[in-house]
Amino acid sequence: MTSRLTATEPPGPQPTHEPPRSWLASTDHKRIAILTLGTALVLLFAMGGLALAMRTQLAQPDSDFVQNDTYNQLFTMHGSGMIYLVITPMALALGLYLVPLQVGSPTVAAPRTTMLGYWLYVLGAIAVLSGFLTAGGAAKEGWTAYTPLSSARFAPNVGTDLWILGNFASSLGMILIAGTVLWTVLLKRARGMTMLRVPVFSWAMVATNLMVLAAFPSLLIALGLLAVGRMSPDVFSSNVWNIGYQHLFWFYGHPVVYVMFFPFVGAVAEVLATFARRRFFGYKATVLSLLAFAALSMSVWGHHMFTTGQVADDYYSLTSIALLVPAGIEYFAMLGTIIGARLRFSVPMLFALAFIPQFLVGGLTGIMVATPVLDYQMQDSYFVVAHFHYTLAAGSLFGFFAGFYFWFPKATGIMLGKGLGHVHFWLMVVGINATFLPMFWLGMEGMPRRVASYLPTDGFGTLNFISTVGSWVLGVAMLAFAANLVVSIVRRRTRRAADNPWEAHTLEWATSSPPPPLNFDAAHPLPPITSFTPLLDLRRKHVKDREPT
Amino acid sequence: MQFRQVFEDIFRFEILLAAGVFAAIAAALLLALALSRKKSGDRRRRDSHPLVEGGYALVLAAVAGVIVYITASAHDEVREASTTNRTDPAPAAEVKVTAFQWCWQFDYARNDKTVTGVCSEKDRKLPTLIVPAGQPVKFNLTSSDVIHSFWIPDLAVKMDAFPDHTNSVTLTFDHPGRWLGRCAEFCGPYHPSMHFYVRAVPPEQYEQWVQA
Repeated sequence: MTSRLTATEPPGPQPTHEPPRSWLASTDHKRIAILTLGTALVLLFAMGGLALAMRTQLAQPDSDFVQNDTYNQLFTMHGSGMIYLVITPMALALGLYLVPLQVGSPTVAAPRTTMLGYWLYVLGAIAVLSGFLTAGGAAKEGWTAYTPLSSARFAPNVGTDLWILGNFASSLGMILIAGTVLWTVLLKRARGMTMLRVPVFSWAMVATNLMVLAAFPSLLIALGLLAVGRMSPDVFSSNVWNIGYQHLFWFYGHPVVYVMFFPFVGAVAEVLATFARRRFFGYKATVLSLLAFAALSMSVWGHHMFTTGQVADDYYSLTSIALLVPAGIEYFAMLGTIIGARLRFSVPMLFALAFIPQFLVGGLTGIMVATPVLDYQMQDSYFVVAHFHYTLAAGSLFGFFAGFYFWFPKATGIMLGKGLGHVHFWLMVVGINATFLPMFWLGMEGMPRRVASYLPTDGFGTLNFISTVGSWVLGVAMLAFAANLVVSIVRRRTRRAADNPWEAHTLEWATSSPPPPLNFDAAHPLPPITSFTPLLDLRRKHVKDREPT
Repeated sequence: MQFRQVFEDIFRFEILLAAGVFAAIAAALLLALALSRKKSGDRRRRDSHPLVEGGYALVLAAVAGVIVYITASAHDEVREASTTNRTDPAPAAEVKVTAFQWCWQFDYARNDKTVTGVCSEKDRKLPTLIVPAGQPVKFNLTSSDVIHSFWIPDLAVKMDAFPDHTNSVTLTFDHPGRWLGRCAEFCGPYHPSMHFYVRAVPPEQYEQWVQA
């Protein structure tokens, strides 16, 4: 189905307001997405700062840089902040910005609902963080907030109430954004944009948004249960309260891992194809594998509960290990795209290439923690911490930066600096691996997660110190990134981005940088849509037309 | 010790497999980097290879099947050894393990004996769980407040302790020795120091101790 709106017919009166209203009450998906991304980026720095404080505390045994109680707030806010308030919003905002452009739609479906999603997100984030200002401090029960530890009896602080309220609001906001973006790609595509001409990134967003709609309501129910149980402790039986909560939570908690992963795989796919000057290899197989991955992801949640003694371990092990099939197909497609191609090593490409081996470490160790007999040792140890940071930091964050350097010129009309980009990239590679690789050994040696200190006799000192130094390197890498942003924006006049600076393949590159309010206009009309790489087709046709016959 | 043995076997299997996959993908990546320097340019015309992709998916599914088969068999073996069936002879000792904020209590039901201690940063007075070496000991895990987790890292065994629910695990400690146990599930401010010791002693010595 095609959209009734065309570029030459603006829908109703054009907004004439000045900032901030032109931003905070915008119906332009690009502005809503930039607001969401900007908020998430600020929070990324904040949550990363909390992690640096934790790593500094753990550098030495018996350290008292921060107290137990503070440390518990730090890891709770770092974990929950990164998942609910940073990576999920980043992932969905990337889709909100790009999907309407990639499918040739002038707007996102239901833009006011989308804007409401942002408002719920930002108010939720404020509520969660305001816990630090209360007398009892912020929430301190871990990002999972397991009952009964998070009940009113054991966690009477207001910070936990604010945490529940804030995460409920922001996750509800995420559901709204996911719904409107899914609606856009399904029902508002341009003429000629069939489902099998939808770019890989937008397909990744389809799978992502399907998972958000299927899994996030379960988090809302879990948080609701927590809120009711904190007010009236006797409402739920011990069975519902102690273990039922975990089921509801993980029914959300595993799919969200892929919500924080697919959009970045999609970004890496677009970057690899662009800088290999080729169409993405195995498009249909990749689309199918993304959908299979999303479907399968709904059946694996029990692998977080192997040690509870109350789930069918072998079943969840089977479904979890089966995920290697779609994941393997995606890896095959990524490698197939770059092998034999003449690659260009621009900054986005560096992040995309590093994503491949680094995420792989997270994926392969994922098979280990999905194996019950190994998980009985690894569960709740630093091995698990290392594993999921390889997926989320070494994987998703690298995919995010690949996409950020790639699409920043499109969204702003400004090219990011190359020199600082290289500094950022190499420091990230060193920092990420130095921080998280030692944690695998720490876990195997018996260091539990979520501990504010350890004894000199534990023998965890050396590895923890390496990890802490690595985290400081990461901190410097992020400063290089911030410097790059600031310098590029200040020198924007000399860093003008062309419409298609990377010779990319998809429709967002056919319009101006930044795109006009309704994405395409008379000066930048939609090109003919002949495949999932319309601009590459145009260039090849152009070359062929000029060849002497 | 069954958990440790199986853990080591399966970990070796999976780490070798993972190393192989990592090496193969790293090689493919390096190949892509090497080939991208050649002057002849990009000659590829195909963007997909459905037969290869389909065949590859089948291979992956087979690999997944093999991993699940091997690991689930190992899991069965562990479970067989660590659960006490009604037909089995009664375990040599049965201990009720109660986790609480923030320490452990061990009740030897048959002998009306209780052991606890002080879980503090310095490990002098940690509660010590005394068990007979070489004989099956059944642990019934529970909690009197929040969820904790009974973890003996050197033995690669971990089981959660829930309030209003009992999880049981039967362990045999092959030889006399002492191992550190930890709480693995975050349970509040003093979670980091919620340790205990397990000490396996010769059965005669255990009998003496438990009767005393």
